[in-house]
Amino acid sequence: MPEPIVRFTPTNLAGFVVTLAATSPARLADELHKVFAGANRYFAGEVAVLDFSEVPEWPTQVDWAGIAALMRRIGLQPVGVRSVPESFHTALARTNLALLDAIPAERTASPMPQATRAVTPEWNGPLAATPEGAKAGPSESPTSATRIIDRPVRSGQQIHHPDGDVILMNGVNPGGEVIAGGHIICWGPLAGRAIAGAYGLESARIFAQRFQPELVAIAGIFKTFEQGVPSAFSGKPVQVRLEPQSEKTEMRLQFEIIEP
Amino acid sequence: MRIVVVTSGKGGVGKTTTSAAFATGLALRGYKTAVIDFDVGLRNLDLIMGCERRVVYDFVNVIQGDAKLHQALIKDKRVESLYILPASQTKDKEALTEAGVEAVMHELQQMGFDFVVCDSPAGIEYGALMAMMFADEAIVVTNPEVSSVRDSDRILGLLQSKTRRAIEGREPIKEHLLITRYNPKRVEEGEMLSYKDILELLRVPLIGVIPESEGVLHASNQGEPVILIKEDKAAQAYDDVVGRFLGENRPLRFTTYEKPGLLKRLLGGG
Repeated sequence: MPEPIVRFTPTNLAGFVVTLAATSPARLADELHKVFAGANRYFAGEVAVLDFSEVPEWPTQVDWAGIAALMRRIGLQPVGVRSVPESFHTALARTNLALLDAIPAERTASPMPQATRAVTPEWNGPLAATPEGAKAGPSESPTSATRIIDRPVRSGQQIHHPDGDVILMNGVNPGGEVIAGGHIICWGPLAGRAIAGAYGLESARIFAQRFQPELVAIAGIFKTFEQGVPSAFSGKPVQVRLEPQSEKTEMRLQFEIIEP
Repeated sequence: MRIVVVTSGKGGVGKTTTSAAFATGLALRGYKTAVIDFDVGLRNLDLIMGCERRVVYDFVNVIQGDAKLHQALIKDKRVESLYILPASQTKDKEALTEAGVEAVMHELQQMGFDFVVCDSPAGIEYGALMAMMFADEAIVVTNPEVSSVRDSDRILGLLQSKTRRAIEGREPIKEHLLITRYNPKRVEEGEMLSYKDILELLRVPLIGVIPESEGVLHASNQGEPVILIKEDKAAQAYDDVVGRFLGENRPLRFTTYEKPGLLKRLLGGG
């Protein structure tokens, strides 16, 4: 019997639901900049469904192309939208964004701690398609898969590990970047950018044997060191974490020397 | 056959000078060596080797089938077993195809070459990527200066990801750091990075330190690889590099500055 020329296979395609509580691309861009600390590509081309159920008030016009372009800039491929009022459906038809309200809601993996930001990624199951995903093993929780990097992370290189912690055995050079869903542990000099808890894990921490970074971020709260790293911490073993604050104030990054 | 790429990222740090000296040094020790200019559009290696008037066919001619490899290879007049393959002066960077370069490498192996030295152009564009693509070892040429160090770091990253050895998951390229234009006096005075600072930043084994030397300029003006000007300190340092590459144990030279004594300074020395 000859092979059929069309086949349908259910798939758990790697992707995200991006819940947007605003419709202005400018406002969203600002918020994304805060969350991702200016990294050029945060995602690796996964598909995105844009969910607008939390938009409080709809304007008369929405720049759909602008929103789509913004998603592409951070490395996502917007394929459709949900919870958009009917008045916008004709405009949407022109943008190649599908109306996905009819599709049943996906089942999510264990819930991530909710961060108080406009953009909150949800897990859509493990990245089953890539061999790397298979090597990392099933992700029951966000920090179950640890990646160890033996070589120095060099200028221009980016390590992106959404599934868990990253252990660096030979430092991060200036111009190098590490993005982890969980913790970042760096042996050797941390001289580049370290972005931990990248998908909202506020308990993520950064540990560096020799602390001299260009930028550190945890769950979207970031700090750059334009005036250089303070001498109390520069080149020393340092731990960075989010300082719990009262309900009223913003979270802040806290730096401590690691005592032997 | 071992393929060695001489690369840097940064321009003007001494790649071609190094390629010429290194290839000559290997040939002087009896190894059949080819040195290839991978620049696309700008041709320098032939000048430094002193064979610019003998260029008939170039690398792209061979790849495009306009000439055979043995017709394009220029046999060096001074050193036995040394051959030069000059760059094309075309502006078309696509002319240097990956398949074409691979075919030339295969043919060089069949011709019995022991070493192929690939002189990379500056930057991280096509010519530089082709020069490193088939390499077994890499000499990363770095000046003791921050932007050169940053660019060398970038190139080291590319060597570990954009080469056949990396793509095919084979044993990674063996990396060697070569520091050129070193001035121990300026290092001592705190004006220049020391080789130890650079080693700490790049964390790659050091194959040598070449001191700043006037011999290099004289050599290129005469079209003679500097390693042949035996009295010159850069020549001696390059000879040390070739020795270390072949497994010899040679201590570092020309890296310390000794302040001249009072008498010498009074009498105008140092």
